[in-house]
Amino acid sequence: MGRKAKDILVKSIIYLATGITLSVLLFIIGFIFVKGIGAINWNFISRDYNEKVFYAFVENSSVPLTIEPKVMENKTTYDKKYETPLEAPVYVENIGAAITKVQYKYYSTDREQFIFSYIEKNSPFQNAVQSNGAPVDIGTDYILQSVNGTDLTGLSTNDVKTLINDQTGQLKLKVISPGGGIKSNIITTLYMILLSLAVALPIGIFGAIYLTEYAKAGKVVNTIRFATECLAGIPSIVFGLFGMAFFVVALNFQISLLSGSLTVAIILLPVIIRSTEEALKTVPMAFRQGSLALGATKLQTIFKVILPCAVPGIATAVLLSVGRVIGESAALLLTAGTVAQIPGTLLSPGSTLTVQAYYVAKEEGNIELACAIGIVIIVIVIILNILSRIASDKLDVFNKK
Amino acid sequence: MEAIKLKKLKKLKKLKEKIIENFFLICALVAVISVLAITFFVFYNGLKPFVTNSYPFWNFISGVEWRPGSNMYGIFYMIVGSVFATTGAILIGVPIAIFTAVFIAEMASSQIGKVIRFAVELLAGIPSVLYGVFGLGIIVPYVLKISPKAQGESLLATILVLAIMILPTVISISETSIGAVPKAYREGSYALGASKIQTIFKVVIPAARSGIMTGVILGIGRAIGETIAVMLVCGNPIAGIPTSLFDQIRPLTTNIALEMGYASGVHQQLLYSTGVVLFVFIMIINVIVNKLVKVRVDS
Repeated sequence: MGRKAKDILVKSIIYLATGITLSVLLFIIGFIFVKGIGAINWNFISRDYNEKVFYAFVENSSVPLTIEPKVMENKTTYDKKYETPLEAPVYVENIGAAITKVQYKYYSTDREQFIFSYIEKNSPFQNAVQSNGAPVDIGTDYILQSVNGTDLTGLSTNDVKTLINDQTGQLKLKVISPGGGIKSNIITTLYMILLSLAVALPIGIFGAIYLTEYAKAGKVVNTIRFATECLAGIPSIVFGLFGMAFFVVALNFQISLLSGSLTVAIILLPVIIRSTEEALKTVPMAFRQGSLALGATKLQTIFKVILPCAVPGIATAVLLSVGRVIGESAALLLTAGTVAQIPGTLLSPGSTLTVQAYYVAKEEGNIELACAIGIVIIVIVIILNILSRIASDKLDVFNKK
Repeated sequence: MEAIKLKKLKKLKKLKEKIIENFFLICALVAVISVLAITFFVFYNGLKPFVTNSYPFWNFISGVEWRPGSNMYGIFYMIVGSVFATTGAILIGVPIAIFTAVFIAEMASSQIGKVIRFAVELLAGIPSVLYGVFGLGIIVPYVLKISPKAQGESLLATILVLAIMILPTVISISETSIGAVPKAYREGSYALGASKIQTIFKVVIPAARSGIMTGVILGIGRAIGETIAVMLVCGNPIAGIPTSLFDQIRPLTTNIALEMGYASGVHQQLLYSTGVVLFVFIMIINVIVNKLVKVRVDS
């Protein structure tokens, strides 16, 4: 084969490889968007993942319908993905709300339910309380299961209306808040980001300051560097094992937000140390000399001159860390659990978005929902990427000056 | 008087600086302490069953069945699975990654290079669980179509997912080290009459080989340590050394993640032992990377 032919062959292999890389990326993102976009809507973001059954005590007071019945019917909202109306909505004055019978699809189960499809502004639901007196929220799309102990299965909408209107005094309603959303996972993820950064950021930044500003080349520095590299290379499942043995068991933090965020904080350390170090190194030596020449102490130089210059680099570290926390799954699986709930305390468990995506894909085989969560994650990752690009451009601009 | 006061003040200031310097040192040492603590806790728990003789080490390391119910804990077939999956991923992923890196560093205009770099960064930023979901939604059903077996979860599916996942690591490190090769090397090669392609493959890549090797080894590290993505596509059988691409595998990592949630006693300790084996693999890789980086710095 001639040299030219050989060159062309190799060139086309290179083009092919690059094409494969790009198409893999497009294919993955495309797959996740196409599969998941159908499940994305406001309810998906704003609801809890699990349905919650609760009793609500509601005043029994007549509220006239203030809008035209036609308008009310039009205002009736269905979650079209899950609900098919079986009967027209009926307005029940005594609770100031319209009830609709729907075919309700909750993942693989299909059942007939009554839902509140429209709620008047001055409905007694505004003052609904739980048995302990705490106020409780009843919104549209919530499911009504029983009234004063009478189960509604098999009734028609008009039967329910009569039933409610026949009651006297306070009503005891058994209500189910609809599930299928990822609100709790979003909030857990935010908690996880804040907590782990609160621990890892100061330690990482101060550590990087020591390495760049104080340390003289020698055994100590070499050891620290080797340790940082090791940390970066340890797979997250091993961090999970450690978190389980140390935070969960030895310190008795349980499988919880705290155990999870401390484990993740260790995972973040090398990321933060490295990018802060890079940023500190780019600050010109002349700045340090100038500051010291003016009589500033080393500490003053660090905090008043060097650190402010390194802010874009530290911002990059933060963005990278946020990406890391969002992407982390194996370690959190072992240390923070898979419970889709908003952790009430530091010691209660909660699952982040990625853990939830894993859980629904693996345990429920629901790829569509996993992809919907994936869309949320990818959008965040893209935003983080763009932001960190802006931050590093800022650092470059500063250097050119 | 004044002079003494000033001296005292200076001393105080110096003390303060010294204290804070030591505080910074302690922060830097957290990384070292963490590595030591991780090593200690994983090894302490993982070696316990062998030291206390509650399970023989040989049965653990050479066994090909993992049946906690009948007190059989063998991980040899998992080691084989991990090694096969990693090797396969490297064989497929590395060539694609190096060629892509060559394209970005040597052939693309700066604009196109920027776009591809952004794409690679994005690929690196996608959480591993989404690769797993992708594998479960696309690769597994496709493997099922061509597989003689009744399931798509397989060594092949694992290899493909891992090959994709190591791309960004290998690409970005190779690309950086190819870009770092001095211009004079290329000019020298052109001056001798070599074509662009010849220059790339005979001069530039050999000059960048230690950097590329670092990328490849980090890729191996990522592949062998990957858990969640693999867990969704590998099948996790309780026994059997894989003999074909369509066999299911159970890598070391997924063994830990699958059962850690409910295991107790010897079962739990042996999951830590699985972690120890994984840890040893990773440490060997780390040491090699460290050596390579040193070689690069020295040269």
